[in-house]
Amino acid sequence: MEEIQYLGEHLIYRNLGQFAITFGFVMSLLAAAGYFFATQNRNSDSYKSWRKIGRFAYTMHGLSVFTIIIVIFLAMLNKCFEYQYVQQHVSEDLPFKYIFSAFWEGQEGSFLLWMFWNVVLGFILMWRAKEWEAPVLSILSGVQAFILTMILGVYFTAELKIGSNPLLLLRDTMDVPLFSNADYVSLLQGNGLNPLLQNYWMTIHPPTLFLGFASTVVPFCFAIAGLWTKKYKEWLKPALPWALFSASILGIGILMGGAWAYEALSFGGYWAWDPVENSSLVPWILLVAGIHAHIVARNTGYSIKSAYLLYVFSFILILYSTYLTRSGVLGESSVHSFTEMGLESLLILFMVFFTGLGLVLYFLRKKEIPGPKEEEALPAREFWMFIGSLVLLFSAVIITGSTSLPVFNKIVQIFNPEFEGYTITEPIQHYNKYQLWIGVFICLLSGMAQFLRYKGSNWDSMSSSFWKRVGIISAFSIALTVLISLWIDLKAWQFWMLAFTGSFAIIANVNYLISSIKGNLRLAGSVFSHVGFGIMVIGVIASGLNQTHISSNPVMQRGLLPDEMLQNNVLLFKGMPMFMSGYRVTFESDTLIGNLREFVVKYEKLDGDGKPVEEFTVVPTATYDNKVIKVSAFNPSTKRYIDKDIFTHIATLSPRERDFELARTIEDSLDYITYSLGKENPVIILDTVESATTNTVLPTKAYLLGIESDPKHADYKPEEGDFAFSVKVAFEKDDTVFYAEPVLVLRQQLLYSFPAQINGLSFKVRLSEKTLDALYPPEDDLGYKRFSLKQGESVNLNGLDIRFDGFNKKPEHPGYIAQDDDIAIGAILNISGAELNKDYIAEPLYLIRGTSPFNLKDEIQEIGLHLRFVSINPETEHIEILVAQRGTQLENIPIEIAKRSFRSDYIVLESIVFPGINLFWLGTILMMSGLGVSMFRRRSEKY
Amino acid sequence: MKKIYIVAFVMIAVAIGMLMNAADDMSSYSSFEMARETGNKVKIAGQFSKDKEVHYDPEVDPNYFTFYIMDTEGEQRKVVLHGAKPQDFEMSEQIVVTGRMKGEDFIASDLLMKCPSKYKDEEVYIKSTKGT
Repeated sequence: MEEIQYLGEHLIYRNLGQFAITFGFVMSLLAAAGYFFATQNRNSDSYKSWRKIGRFAYTMHGLSVFTIIIVIFLAMLNKCFEYQYVQQHVSEDLPFKYIFSAFWEGQEGSFLLWMFWNVVLGFILMWRAKEWEAPVLSILSGVQAFILTMILGVYFTAELKIGSNPLLLLRDTMDVPLFSNADYVSLLQGNGLNPLLQNYWMTIHPPTLFLGFASTVVPFCFAIAGLWTKKYKEWLKPALPWALFSASILGIGILMGGAWAYEALSFGGYWAWDPVENSSLVPWILLVAGIHAHIVARNTGYSIKSAYLLYVFSFILILYSTYLTRSGVLGESSVHSFTEMGLESLLILFMVFFTGLGLVLYFLRKKEIPGPKEEEALPAREFWMFIGSLVLLFSAVIITGSTSLPVFNKIVQIFNPEFEGYTITEPIQHYNKYQLWIGVFICLLSGMAQFLRYKGSNWDSMSSSFWKRVGIISAFSIALTVLISLWIDLKAWQFWMLAFTGSFAIIANVNYLISSIKGNLRLAGSVFSHVGFGIMVIGVIASGLNQTHISSNPVMQRGLLPDEMLQNNVLLFKGMPMFMSGYRVTFESDTLIGNLREFVVKYEKLDGDGKPVEEFTVVPTATYDNKVIKVSAFNPSTKRYIDKDIFTHIATLSPRERDFELARTIEDSLDYITYSLGKENPVIILDTVESATTNTVLPTKAYLLGIESDPKHADYKPEEGDFAFSVKVAFEKDDTVFYAEPVLVLRQQLLYSFPAQINGLSFKVRLSEKTLDALYPPEDDLGYKRFSLKQGESVNLNGLDIRFDGFNKKPEHPGYIAQDDDIAIGAILNISGAELNKDYIAEPLYLIRGTSPFNLKDEIQEIGLHLRFVSINPETEHIEILVAQRGTQLENIPIEIAKRSFRSDYIVLESIVFPGINLFWLGTILMMSGLGVSMFRRRSEKY
Repeated sequence: MKKIYIVAFVMIAVAIGMLMNAADDMSSYSSFEMARETGNKVKIAGQFSKDKEVHYDPEVDPNYFTFYIMDTEGEQRKVVLHGAKPQDFEMSEQIVVTGRMKGEDFIASDLLMKCPSKYKDEEVYIKSTKGT
């Protein structure tokens, strides 16, 4: 077959990117090797030359990664849709601020983000790590080589490939007739960024989380480097700030995910024990466990082995998390959808390699790792910190075990294809049940261990004061627990236990801050973190256990119904308030701006007498797809108080509001009938109402009330030059009067009709061209009469006396915009008559612009008088005017009415109260800042 | 190292206890028949029956949504969810429901939809002629 010469492709990106990927991969291997030999020869003369090779190769590798990123970014910025990755994530109308989000929306982009941070961390280490540079960067380069493999895109056959290349052209990925067109590029459009992801969270959450992910490699590299170079104790000092940094950033990244889910998505909570959430939480827990073992090792020499293993596991669990979320193995157990990319075996190899490296090296060197001979003393701080690490490890094991159920199923299915696989029936309860006890132990340990000394020194003299202190703190904690129980319902003894231990952790650590470290905030990192943990625990109990629905079936049904019978949504018609759980809730209005539709919902809290004591509005939204046809997502809105949040989101809308194409189809299928309506003699409209037994025919009287020349309609936005009017129509049925005010707009020769819906009757009323013609007949049909007048003279028409009072040399007219060189004159006409209540003044305009004469009419609507000033004779001082009058009676006006037009202006609302949720945020933020404070302290340690 | 052994022993004992306890939380995907027989809360992974009625009329009851799925045994049943109809429900192919049988119907407390991966048609790549 003949090769097609394609037009308009930007192949430079592919060529440059492809080169950077390959070059970067080779350089990462060279860096690993260079640094490897530098480490091996660290005591010989060749060290420096090997390190030079390592440095050069790593720098080249880093520049290659930056190049790949820039190339893809440019391709996205220039909307080169011939690239598959660009086509999938960008669209023509995607604003610049979302290009970053689009970049890391896909798997390849997120791998690049991970590599980007690794490169940055590597550069910092190259600069600061001194004698640790060679071994640490050797391992880091190895890790980079593996990640880069994921986007290498070496294809052996269609099925067998290594990595998924982000710079593939669309035509490389599939074979469709489109690509026989040489100019196919000009026909392409992009899918664009998922509207759910078009918010600032998508801009800040992934980079933070990936920095957290990436930075776990640093303690891992130090641990391996320590084993490798046999400096079993020396690595502890430089690695500690890195570990604290990593735990802090990873923690913040995870929290951002929770905050995003809570604030912008409709998950109705910040944590759902989703496998994807769990798999990033577990490495964090292990990292924190590792940090505790690490601090013990720094202070006493115990737990070095534990620190090694925990850091190794922490990094391996990051790889495992990558495997879980990107291999497709989670399948139906996660709400986070990730498409398969055929990386499964590669990811397993990645994991096996580094697990092997860590564990083999550990067991080879295990005997050499130093540690004190004697056992830890029972009252020693290090013993209880170690127990704490074990509890955290235990927590990580339980979470990983449950999360890995799909992996277990898959492995069993290899041997037994008949195996159906297990699943957790109610995951949230399952995880909570066990993690509750982890929380209890961690709170107790973090409170008690603070008052013990390393190596248990002076225990004999301080034991009694220790127990006294624990006793007093316990008493205060009981008091605080009772206070908490007055605020929130603790429901079961386990939660009393958790609330007590949470209080204990808070009070004990605050006490430690005051009495032991005398308020020295530099040393208070652990206090912040432990107090934060205690506060978080109480926040979780409050917001999780005590969340209640405002939108719900009556409170009396609570507890009597199984949870599958609870009804948590209410239907709110626009403008019709509804009472629920002590609030009067009203859906007031909605507006569509771009593809975002905002719904204004007002809450009024009522006192016993039904008087509002407090009111607020929330604005939940619906995001439509990029073409503004269908809703893609609903986003909540939250009213925040110090002690609680009121979370409101739209569960659904009417099908017509969810899908504007459907709305148009339904609108088009309405059966409009034209009625001739007037002010007098109402027209009777018969409507058939179906009921269970019979079909009742109900009459409705319809008549007109008037015309409005400055009409108001929810969908009509006036523009300059519009000619618009509305007709007010009244409908009487069973002593009830309904009003409709449809609008008709003439804009640049086009008619726009804005119908009015009458919900009480399910009628829809609209105006048509016939209405316009009846109300505003064309000029030719008016039947103008011509008169010639001198100043002071008058003429008579239909009993009206029209007197010419003089000229206005500086005339004003709504339709006249003055230009230079215009000659414009107004004729002041006074109209009076026996039947009129008052005199009217009209001022039609005569105008010479250039060499042509024009005139602009004036109209007196009340008496239906039209006046034109058409010429002037300067010699005789006569002017010529045209006058016409037509009936002002509103009769026989054609109005279109459709029956059976049902209202769609409602929202289905879910509204939840989360008490004490701010304690959760406060606690978690304190935890992460505590890690940060510790990092700065440990960074400046001298030895 | 004695104390550590004690701690390790206690933890292993607790872990075994938990594991036995946790076994109750886990089950294979069930079927309507199992749900009927046991009366327990179960999880069923079924095929969405696209030809059957999907009912949701929020004006009548915003907390009543029904549809049909077919379980792995080939039994087709009505599923009732006392809640709102999820977004893009019609796009799903496989649906996992958690709940229990009540009379003829399966009352779900939770449902998870699996949508097919993005369209692979040629059309989505080409500019629409309608103009946007």
